[in-house]
Amino acid sequence: MKNRNIDFSMVLALAVHDMKNSLGMLLNSLDELRAENEAKLTESSKFNTLQYEAERIHNDLVQLLGIYRLGENNLSAHIEEHSVSEFLSEHLARHTPLLEGLGIECSIESDDINGFFDTDLLTGVLNNTINNAIRYTKSEIKLTAAEREGYLVIRVEDDGEGYPESMQHTGPLSFKSLDFNTGSTSLGLFFVSAVANLHSEGDRKGYIKLHNGGELGGGVFEIWLP
Amino acid sequence: MSDPNENVFGKLSYLVVDDFENFRISMRHMLRSCGADNVELVAHAKPAIEYCTYNHVDVVLCDYNLGKGKNGQHILEELRHKKLLKRSSLFLMVTSESSREMVMGAREYQPDAYLTKPINHAMLEKRLSSLISQRNALLPINREIDRENYPEAISLCNAALSRLPRYKTWLMKTLGELYFLLGDLSYAIKVYDEVLSQRELSWARVGRNKVLLANHRYDEAVESLRKLIKSHPDYMEAYDLLAEGLERQNRSGQAQNVLELATTRSPNALLRQKHLAELAEANQDMETATEAWRQTVRLGAHSIHHSPDHHIALAHALCDLSDGDTDEGSQALAHEAISVLASMERQFSESKTLELHSLVIQCRIQAGRGEVEKANSMLESISERLSEIHPLELEMGLDYAKTLYRLDNVREAKTLLARLHESYGEDPEAARKIESLLDEPVSFRMKIKARGLNREGIAAFESGALKEAEETFSKALEIIPDHPALNLNLIQVLIKQHEDTGSIDKLTDRCQQHISRLDDLPEQHGQYRRYLALQRKLKALTL
Repeated sequence: MKNRNIDFSMVLALAVHDMKNSLGMLLNSLDELRAENEAKLTESSKFNTLQYEAERIHNDLVQLLGIYRLGENNLSAHIEEHSVSEFLSEHLARHTPLLEGLGIECSIESDDINGFFDTDLLTGVLNNTINNAIRYTKSEIKLTAAEREGYLVIRVEDDGEGYPESMQHTGPLSFKSLDFNTGSTSLGLFFVSAVANLHSEGDRKGYIKLHNGGELGGGVFEIWLP
Repeated sequence: MSDPNENVFGKLSYLVVDDFENFRISMRHMLRSCGADNVELVAHAKPAIEYCTYNHVDVVLCDYNLGKGKNGQHILEELRHKKLLKRSSLFLMVTSESSREMVMGAREYQPDAYLTKPINHAMLEKRLSSLISQRNALLPINREIDRENYPEAISLCNAALSRLPRYKTWLMKTLGELYFLLGDLSYAIKVYDEVLSQRELSWARVGRNKVLLANHRYDEAVESLRKLIKSHPDYMEAYDLLAEGLERQNRSGQAQNVLELATTRSPNALLRQKHLAELAEANQDMETATEAWRQTVRLGAHSIHHSPDHHIALAHALCDLSDGDTDEGSQALAHEAISVLASMERQFSESKTLELHSLVIQCRIQAGRGEVEKANSMLESISERLSEIHPLELEMGLDYAKTLYRLDNVREAKTLLARLHESYGEDPEAARKIESLLDEPVSFRMKIKARGLNREGIAAFESGALKEAEETFSKALEIIPDHPALNLNLIQVLIKQHEDTGSIDKLTDRCQQHISRLDDLPEQHGQYRRYLALQRKLKALTL
């Protein structure tokens, strides 16, 4: 590409934008298909895989765009006050058809509190973690929210095998720590960690924690927001 | 809280706007299974607006991307602007893109919520039901705002703060806006300070700065807005306010830079582009002004802010840029100006004066291209038609005067400007426009050249290089011979030379010649007092 003045990341971003929109249409049709053919499709593992993988790609693309804007220094958190339980239940509704199809039980345990966050960005975070949990859980996912040490803590727990040793950690992830050789690049985690970091209040910044155990005995994802 | 068995969906009327039939039908299906009964479906902006004109709608679900023509944001603007949709009604923007880019685009009128596709039934039900409970809880307040009974709305907000803590953000935002609308700035700032004392939130920071600007506390506001933009580079409203603040501080160059940055980040807000165009024009940056006017015209196509004034302004800018050169680039600009005017005439064909106004500019464009004969014959027919119009509109009159100057009909131009001054001179802005045209009746390139020479001349004068100052001012006066300040500057140099050397004869002749150019300088002109002083001094010298 010598002497051609092509801003490749810009081209990528535009292409990703386009793909994301197409995928949105595709997901919409899948939802409709499921609704129209409930009897036949609810138990169909092929259909569930189709929807799950499409959701995952969609989610990846949204993240890619987020990371692009982060790199362009054009992403910031527009923090407002929201009801946490309302936000979580609205969010979970999006995953309901697939969860039902997969036979995964999902519940919310949230104190009746308000929190300060950017709903768009946090939606991206939850999509990522819930998709991840769907992949690794056996039968159950639980969302909880509570206030701890002056932070709003949202947890996503599952009853799967949990995170491998190498992934468990607390605090911000740097772009350099991404390993492109292991197959799982943790790009999602990088994005999620960056979003947490965009949420700040005074000197305090948000962060994420990954560990195992919790009430369901599987992986536990936590995002701490000041 | 409402009774959970009560059907909150059934009581309201819905309008779904989407260009895909499948999506419209599936949306209606989902709404019906939520319990909605009264659901209307339309595909495009026109039927949507028509429907809202004749029917009461409580909830609009509108897709952002509607193919060709108006998009969802245009519909929202038009509905709210024409008050076809009350504040107590909900407007939900349905998008397949992430909402942020669109939030950034808009400068006014934001939807009550965004729904991001794909949308399923469970999601829609949850989201809509919480929006509807919010609507119902806040209905009495919004009703008072719709009636413009702001004091009542304020006391309802205050009463609701302890009763509805869940909607605290909405209540505080609304309170700030209402106090601001009523002009009660000290209460408005109290509201924002209270929010900010708990937490740094951008919306409250922006609100507070708006109040500071209204209070003439420009330095404070400018500093705070700069900080906000640094931490939130995608918060567009902050750029608009910062530009406003800088303008009030008379730093219009910096204001322009801020808006240029904002329009690269978010190019689709018409009012922002227009603001940039006007600023750049005032800063004599005609390239930037032209591009911003181009964008303003482009964005106007589907907007409620569509106006022929934007076309005229763009044609002016293009005409100015192309004037005085016959190279390819200038030819293209002149060509573009003519096609912009033609498209304006097509879009606003009902206006006769507009057509005439367009001819006045076209005539000047022809003159600029060197087609003097053609221009003169156009001028003849224009003059005839214009002589029948009384009184002449200000902008049209100014344009006509420019064209007259361009074709060297200086006397007619001056008479016309005097007449305009009689009719519009009481308005200071109009008087300023008339005056600056009288002073500098040339294209902006020439103006800039003359201004540069004027600055050089002043510098030379101050450093004592009188000969050089004299030559520089004279050069500038060759471009704009009637410019009052320039004439007076030259006279001052000549008097100083006289004081230094003592020679008198030739000098007074030249001074007389220059002072007599200002014989008809109107009393309210900024240079009038200086003119009188120098005139007296000159008399004393010649006695």
